[in-house]
Amino acid sequence: MYNEIEKKKFRLIPQVIILFAAAVLVTGAITFFVQSSISNSAIRRQTESRASEIAQETATAIREYPAYDRLLSYWYAHADEMEIEYDAEYKTGTETEAKCRTLTERYPSVQLKYVTKQQLDAMELEDQKLYAEVAYSWLITRLNQIKRTYHIDFLFCVATDETYGTQFFLLSAADPGATRGTSYEEIYPLGHTVTVGADQQKAMRSAEANASYLANAGDYVDYYTWLCETEGHPVFIGMTYNLSELRSSSASQAHRETLYAMLFQIFLSLICLILIYRFVLQPLKKVQKNIRLYKETKDGLAITESLKEVKAHNEIGDLSKDVSELASEMDDFIGRIETITAEKERVSTELSMATRIQAAMLPHVFPPFPERVEFDIFANMDPAKEVGGDFYDFFLIDEDRLGIVIADVSGKGVPAALFMMASKIILQSCAMLGGSPAEILTKTNEAICSNNQEEMFVTVWMGILEISSGKLTAANAGHEFPALQKTPGGLLELVKDKHGFVIGGMPGMKYKEYELQMTPGTKLFLYTDGVPEATDDDGNMFGTERMLAALNEEPDAAPVRVLQNVRRAVDGFVKDAEKFDDLTMLCLEYKGKPSEQTVNHRQ
Amino acid sequence: MKEANKLTINRVSDGNRLTLALDGYLNTATALELGTFLSESLNGVTDLVFDFSKLKYISSAGMRVLLTTQKRMNSQGSMKITGASNNIIDIFDITGFTDILTIENRE
Repeated sequence: MYNEIEKKKFRLIPQVIILFAAAVLVTGAITFFVQSSISNSAIRRQTESRASEIAQETATAIREYPAYDRLLSYWYAHADEMEIEYDAEYKTGTETEAKCRTLTERYPSVQLKYVTKQQLDAMELEDQKLYAEVAYSWLITRLNQIKRTYHIDFLFCVATDETYGTQFFLLSAADPGATRGTSYEEIYPLGHTVTVGADQQKAMRSAEANASYLANAGDYVDYYTWLCETEGHPVFIGMTYNLSELRSSSASQAHRETLYAMLFQIFLSLICLILIYRFVLQPLKKVQKNIRLYKETKDGLAITESLKEVKAHNEIGDLSKDVSELASEMDDFIGRIETITAEKERVSTELSMATRIQAAMLPHVFPPFPERVEFDIFANMDPAKEVGGDFYDFFLIDEDRLGIVIADVSGKGVPAALFMMASKIILQSCAMLGGSPAEILTKTNEAICSNNQEEMFVTVWMGILEISSGKLTAANAGHEFPALQKTPGGLLELVKDKHGFVIGGMPGMKYKEYELQMTPGTKLFLYTDGVPEATDDDGNMFGTERMLAALNEEPDAAPVRVLQNVRRAVDGFVKDAEKFDDLTMLCLEYKGKPSEQTVNHRQ
Repeated sequence: MKEANKLTINRVSDGNRLTLALDGYLNTATALELGTFLSESLNGVTDLVFDFSKLKYISSAGMRVLLTTQKRMNSQGSMKITGASNNIIDIFDITGFTDILTIENRE
């Protein structure tokens, strides 16, 4: 049982963990996306400002030379003749230094760095060439510095034609050790002309119109700034650099940010998990454990006590309280059920006791008078419930007179049984005091009516058989017609006798009696309405016709057999239908004096 | 059996006259129902009529209710039974109830 709880405990946590993990992933993805797009636009801004800065610096470096446009024209025009020292470390003894010295000797008043156009024009052609070479060399060195400083891939100054279809390389910066040449990936020397693609053409046109233009192609950025016009050719400062480094640094920043966001989220999730475990799962587990415990022990008090430890002021607290209440209500309920069950058992015990008492009250040992051979009698009372309202009775009033009674109290069950007991005793007492059946019934009626607030009544047929002669004197207080066999072996038929009112119904009733003569070997059959009114499932009643048929099945049968026949017929008729009335029958066979007993029956 | 547990009481009240038409079976179960109904309905009634033309069966418990009602009506007016079938009249005859009840339309 405990293991089961443990298992359940770990079912919620993984679900929450999965949920949180999903949340962490979503957060990560969102953070990454946002960070990337922020850094992409930042990269673009950064790139643009950086490119413009580099171009500015380059342009300034060029424009520092007062005669820069003349120099550009010269380089453009005399590209092939120039003897250029590329990438010189110009502080050491180089060719350029030598050329400088030559020029300084020839033009002592001229500052080489700031040669004006006039001063340049005033020089000898040969010196102009020298100066163009020196300035070129210096500028290359300067551009190389700029390139190195800004880590750009290419930095150059080009002149283009009217169609922007070609680029004539004027200046091109190189890293130390890079080779100059005209093949791809080499640093182009002065005068190298390349045909450019549509993208570059567009870039240069736009740069001329807007002073600068940034073309972004994949990881590479091309940037052009218009510098000036030389001999009708637009001159641009151009550069190309790789963004991948910038990108990767910004990407790694995005990664880092994402990682931080996710770590933070995981941290929050962990705190949430701990809180959920502490404030949800543990109390829930406790509640569940107690529910299980209650299932086993049914000890509501212990559960209530134990659940007091769950102090959450939330739904779980409510749940715990509800469970406590449910358990104590359940306890009450179980208590009540137990009481009811005990009560039921008591009633049932009492009822079964009552059944036995009632059965014992009726003559139930057969034959009842073994020494009396003049008659044979058999009777049976079968209540619909534990106790019934029917009864039969027979008793010897004296040596020659046998009192026979069959009766049916209105209603069924315990009330009818109580009334039946009183009726039986009163009736027998009255009979033993002597008198005819009508007198006995009249007295009985008075006695019962005197204390009958509930207005119960009982139908009674009473007869007194004169054993010596077979004369039967009878009176009927609202009871069913008796059935009599007139001749031995003949048919039993209903005796439509004169009826008086039921006993207990109304005081002051008078009863009339009548006489029947029983000849030896004939039978009298008495019954209550439970026989003709036995009902099958379709609501049909057994009726007196079927009853008579069953009675006459074996005209010679002994009383016990007659009752069995009727009972079998009734059971066969009602089948499985619920029995709802008491079933009582009595059969008397008059045999006459021993000397008259000529007919011997099967026993 | 279920059919045998049903009793419908149709009531027509006209001033002090109350007519109750019983439809179904008047047995132990339904007698209790009828008894309760009657104990609540008879105040001020001087002329009580039971229409038994649709009554299929009456048990001793049912007759007890009739007896109680008859006794009550004896002190506050009259009571009669109409339309009873032969089966029911037989039962009344057997039990001697014919002597204390007023039964009309006897065939």
